[in-house]
Amino acid sequence: MAGRRAALKAIDWVAFAERVPPNQRSMFNALKTRSDAISAKLASLPESPAAIDWSYYRSAVAKPGMVDEFEKKFSALKVPEPVDTQTAKINAQETEANKSALAYIEASKARITKYEEELDKFKNMIPFDQMTIEDLNEIFPETKLDKVKYPYWPHKPIADL
Amino acid sequence: MLSRAVFLSANFLKGSAPLGAGLVHAPRSLHTSSQSLAPVPPLPEKPGKVRHGFVPEEFFQLLYPKTGVTGPYMFGTGLIIYLLSKEIYVINQETLAGISIGAIIIYAVKKFGPSVAAFADQLNEEKVAKVQEVKDLAMTNLAQAIENEKKEQWRVEGRSMLFDAKRNNVAMLLETNYRERQHMVTNEVKRRLDYQIALQHLNRRLEQEHMINWVEKSVISSITPQQEKESIAKCITDLKALAKSTQAKAVI
Repeated sequence: MAGRRAALKAIDWVAFAERVPPNQRSMFNALKTRSDAISAKLASLPESPAAIDWSYYRSAVAKPGMVDEFEKKFSALKVPEPVDTQTAKINAQETEANKSALAYIEASKARITKYEEELDKFKNMIPFDQMTIEDLNEIFPETKLDKVKYPYWPHKPIADL
Repeated sequence: MLSRAVFLSANFLKGSAPLGAGLVHAPRSLHTSSQSLAPVPPLPEKPGKVRHGFVPEEFFQLLYPKTGVTGPYMFGTGLIIYLLSKEIYVINQETLAGISIGAIIIYAVKKFGPSVAAFADQLNEEKVAKVQEVKDLAMTNLAQAIENEKKEQWRVEGRSMLFDAKRNNVAMLLETNYRERQHMVTNEVKRRLDYQIALQHLNRRLEQEHMINWVEKSVISSITPQQEKESIAKCITDLKALAKSTQAKAVI
């Protein structure tokens, strides 16, 4: 019951929008419009309803006990708070997303190390005018001529010349 | 005979492709130790300096301190005269043939040597440029890929914002619902009370109207025909008097 004013965190939509990758932009826009609609609806409703002027009704209504009875019942009535079913699901989603995000970051880091390795290989290469054919074949294995499959010069199919 | 031709032209042509198996017996003799020095130092671009095509410059430098500039030339002249006079080298028909062929070959190499060398260089340049392009492209792609990965990691860090937004939405919906319920309750109670009041007003009005109608009807029915005639005659006389007074007023 105390969660009525459960903290509405201020969301920085601009920073959020920056982090969205382009292929998920439409989903982000849908979310934003939904959120905006909900908050607009919330803002349009006043926080508590207008108070009922009991004295006026007491003087106006002829039936003697009716107004008092209404007043008693009305103040005794407690509007039940709507039950929150979704927050648990959202939290579960969040933990799952965190897990998969960590896995993705790990994979991404592995990729980065691989790329950096290859980049270093290219950076530390000897310049081309000091290379021999053997060196070239080492660095770019695809330039190696297959002398077993094509034993006669030019060691590659004529169409590839 | 032909070996001399090969020897001459090999010295004339400028450094051909260092890439390739051509200069196999150039200073790769650095493999003197059992370990291979890697990277192997580059091959020299130009051959050793020669004068007149086949005499190394070192020979001239060797004789310079003793005999000056003309020393090697005197040596050469003396050598040729010795070979001819002692008939160690015999002049025959091959001599003339050799001289002619030599002249032609020297002329051809001097004329076309540089352009052929440039052409060979250009072929090599193209090969190198192609591979260099591949290398550059690969490097830029890798750098770009690394950038992209880093950016994606940064993006992933913002994932908590999504869930915050969702939780906010849920909270807002709950709050809205609660307020709506409150409003509904109040409005319903008001409506019921207002209904009672409206009902009361309606009753009162109906009673009033009914009473008025009833009073009117009874008054009208109580006016007898005799009274009606008397009242009409009185009205007429009143009107006449009124008309006379009005006429008098108008004349004045």
